[in-house]
Amino acid sequence: MISSSLAIARKDLRLAFAGGQGPVQAVLLGLLLVFIFSLSAAPGERFSAQQALAIFWLCSSFGVVLIFSLLFRFEEENDTATALLLSPLPVQSLWLGKTLAGLMLLLLCQVFFFPAALVFLGLDPGGNLSGLALMVLAVDVGLCVLGGLIGAMGHGQGAKDALLTIIVFPLQIPLLLGGIRIGVGLVQGASLNGVADWFGLVMAFDAVFAGAALFLFPHVFKGE
Amino acid sequence: MNYLFIANACVWLGVGGYVLFLARQHSVLERRVRQLEILDGDE
Amino acid sequence: MGMFRIYPKTLMILAAASMALMMVGQYAIWYHAPEELTMGLVQKVFYFHLPLAWWSFVAFFGVCIASVMVLWTGREHWDVLAGVMAEIGVLFSGLALVTGSIWGRAAWNTWWTWDPRLSTTLVMWFVYAGYLVLRSADVGGTKGAKMRAVLGIVAFLDVPLVFLSARLWRSIHPAVLASKGGGLEPEMWTAVWINVLAWGTLFATLVLARYHAAGLKRRVEAALIRIQEKTLQ
Repeated sequence: MISSSLAIARKDLRLAFAGGQGPVQAVLLGLLLVFIFSLSAAPGERFSAQQALAIFWLCSSFGVVLIFSLLFRFEEENDTATALLLSPLPVQSLWLGKTLAGLMLLLLCQVFFFPAALVFLGLDPGGNLSGLALMVLAVDVGLCVLGGLIGAMGHGQGAKDALLTIIVFPLQIPLLLGGIRIGVGLVQGASLNGVADWFGLVMAFDAVFAGAALFLFPHVFKGE
Repeated sequence: MNYLFIANACVWLGVGGYVLFLARQHSVLERRVRQLEILDGDE
Repeated sequence: MGMFRIYPKTLMILAAASMALMMVGQYAIWYHAPEELTMGLVQKVFYFHLPLAWWSFVAFFGVCIASVMVLWTGREHWDVLAGVMAEIGVLFSGLALVTGSIWGRAAWNTWWTWDPRLSTTLVMWFVYAGYLVLRSADVGGTKGAKMRAVLGIVAFLDVPLVFLSARLWRSIHPAVLASKGGGLEPEMWTAVWINVLAWGTLFATLVLARYHAAGLKRRVEAALIRIQEKTLQ
């Protein structure tokens, strides 16, 4: 299943960049959000680390929605969804492949969001960059696990897939709180041990929803 | 004391409103069912 | 259509029972339970707030169970039941939030307290309100029932995670507010349990009544289809 998932992920990443588009929409939206939020502070007024991180994760959250909307749109033409389902690939590898591709695209978007947060929101990353990277990865996994499942539901729905965002955002809240809290802790100099309980929560979220997605994905992804 | 009254009012208005909504929906549906069953019988 | 035949008698008995229990509950609140020492009369909001919150969570759990049954049995009435429970859950949790907010304002002069239970209720309200919007928009078409079932399961899986995150979040903030509900007199506990029972009976009545209406709606739709088919022949 791993090799087939990687094949799906490779295919999706190639398709995402083939049209020259890639995650451009997600990146631009995120940068725009950072800029607009930076206007909420008076000139000279600083954002707290918590505020800056909250905005960073909000951009990532919006980015996830756009990324998975893009990834599942690939199977809408020429009934390719049915073709994939009829192939000997296990159905779950479709979900895993999409999730992996989404994760790569999200990390790429965040490569732009993070410097933007440094510049426009005055975020000071502190010394523990590896800890921050680990935090971002852990939360991103959760966002993409959920994104993959919800994205599958939006597949083939036309305009209605936008409605699914109405349920995705509140479901993500434990992850976003975790991302903000861990980030604040690390930026203020806490060790990874100091934010261990939040990490535990984020990992629990990742595990629970990955398990649920593996089980539930076949029920929601069917060729039309 | 006012707050207690407002909280009470909200609860009873909320529940009462929902019950009214149910009652209205029920009467509309009953009427529709009767109409359709007559139509169905005529076909 | 037999699965939708809810005998009117059951509904009437439940309705009468809930009215009677509500009256007993009201007596317990206003005459039996004493006035709380620190917060005074306004503490009595608690006797509404707790049953509403409690039964809203039962409703959301019911959505989850019904959703599992949709995927397991494929029978349509489980999907209908899930929708009914979600609706009443949203109503009850909304009222719990309103009463909780008013209580917070009256007792601690703040409209919102980041109490983990209240915060969890707020997030769940958003999740299930979104679920209801998706149901009414009929997202999913032919596979709609399965999609709604998956959402119903995923939504409830989030509940413990939201609660834990809300609790962790609050633990770093200074404890501004005392936790509600500790240190109750025995008469207060009696009032609590009577009201929990009363609201539970009302909950069951509303679920049954709404389910009955949904059954009627399906009969209407079935009759419409039959007429359409006959006209096309």
